[in-house]
Amino acid sequence: MESHERLLDVLRDRLGLKGTKEGCSTGDCGICAVLMDGKLVNSCLIFAVQARNKKIVTIEGIGTETNLHPLQKAFIKWNASQCGYCIPAMILASKDLLDKNPTPTEDEIKKATSGILCRCTGYLKIVEAVKTAAQEMKK
Amino acid sequence: MMETLYYWFHQRQVGRQLRRFDMYIPENLADLLDYLDAHQSGVHLIANGSDLINRIQRRQINPKILVDLSGLSEFSYVRKDGKTIKIGAMTTISDIIASSVIDTRHDVFREVAAQFGGPSIINMATIGGNVCAASSSEDLLPVLLVLDAQVRLRSKRGDRILRLDDFLKGKRIIHLNPNEILVEVMFPELDDYSVCAFEKIGMRNSLIIAFVNSAVYLKLDKRTRRIETIRIAFNRVAGKIPERAKRTEEKLHGQVVNEHVMKEGLSSLNAELRLSSDFRVSSEYRTDVAGVLFKRALNRCAEKLLGEAVIV
Repeated sequence: MESHERLLDVLRDRLGLKGTKEGCSTGDCGICAVLMDGKLVNSCLIFAVQARNKKIVTIEGIGTETNLHPLQKAFIKWNASQCGYCIPAMILASKDLLDKNPTPTEDEIKKATSGILCRCTGYLKIVEAVKTAAQEMKK
Repeated sequence: MMETLYYWFHQRQVGRQLRRFDMYIPENLADLLDYLDAHQSGVHLIANGSDLINRIQRRQINPKILVDLSGLSEFSYVRKDGKTIKIGAMTTISDIIASSVIDTRHDVFREVAAQFGGPSIINMATIGGNVCAASSSEDLLPVLLVLDAQVRLRSKRGDRILRLDDFLKGKRIIHLNPNEILVEVMFPELDDYSVCAFEKIGMRNSLIIAFVNSAVYLKLDKRTRRIETIRIAFNRVAGKIPERAKRTEEKLHGQVVNEHVMKEGLSSLNAELRLSSDFRVSSEYRTDVAGVLFKRALNRCAEKLLGEAVIV
């Protein structure tokens, strides 16, 4: 691993975890988001070396093919994904929200995902999907 | 072989090649200060890197060595020392607003955090990084200027303390010696008679670089509603860095908080602000909207202190 490699580069190119996407490379779009030690961060703005000794959760760590996370089920139910590019980040940001605040208001959902840009959906279905998932997860 | 080719091709395709450099990871503070003392050129400090990576990509700097500060956990704190609040340079914006020391009186920091990029940016950006980035994009600077903040700088030879406005020399230029690091930002706490508000405006509701941002500090005699102290800062006043609008402050000092003071403030700012046009917006728009932000911030200060806005 070289000094200039970002966490995003290591995840995608060295570890083959292609779920985390590269959008703008400048921290302005949020689709490279991962959870680092439980905090949502932009992996395009972190040198891999600075992520040493930290626990990283990517979209590959959320649910499995046979046992999807309630958020993933809700996104499918609501057709909240179109091109799919922002979805891994949206799921991680929503999971981070629901883990810390199981009963968020619509405003809180919007704020939690406000760092991720979506060009396709207009955000409405994503917000509805998170609401549905929150209800499911309360049960 | 294919993997290597693909990797190379991918790097070219993305079009943003980071320059090659080495990273030095200090074992502890003493090691860091020794290292900086010994190597005084080609070396750049990196906190969590959310600003620095962009600057390297844009080729604004070309470091040979990056010194990684992210392991220095001793500089992540928010403390009260008597009547002074002290924040360690490596404290992230989200950790600042989560601290119980930053109570409702200091909600101005929450006002900044709510408009500071997005949830992931505030988890990474540090107060030290924001201060040392020293440009009109750094949202904490107007707030820290009106709070009369100071910075503590440390080298192998000891500490020195500077007023924040003396520390900021120009755009991206700070009074930091090559063998020094910023360790702490401090300011007097707000009390029952003093309050601070922050306003920002940009292209959208989130992930914005400000066209204009503004902070107002107001200290009132609540009974007479006379302004004891008012401090006003914008991300630009006449130069390229955040500054206080001191001529306007002097004009408003001692006056009663009412519509007249608001109007006088706005007209004084109109004369004092020398804002330029750029690829974002025109100078006319900037000056006009700066007045609007001042009005909003002053109103909010009045609301916080007196329970009612100055003008509706």
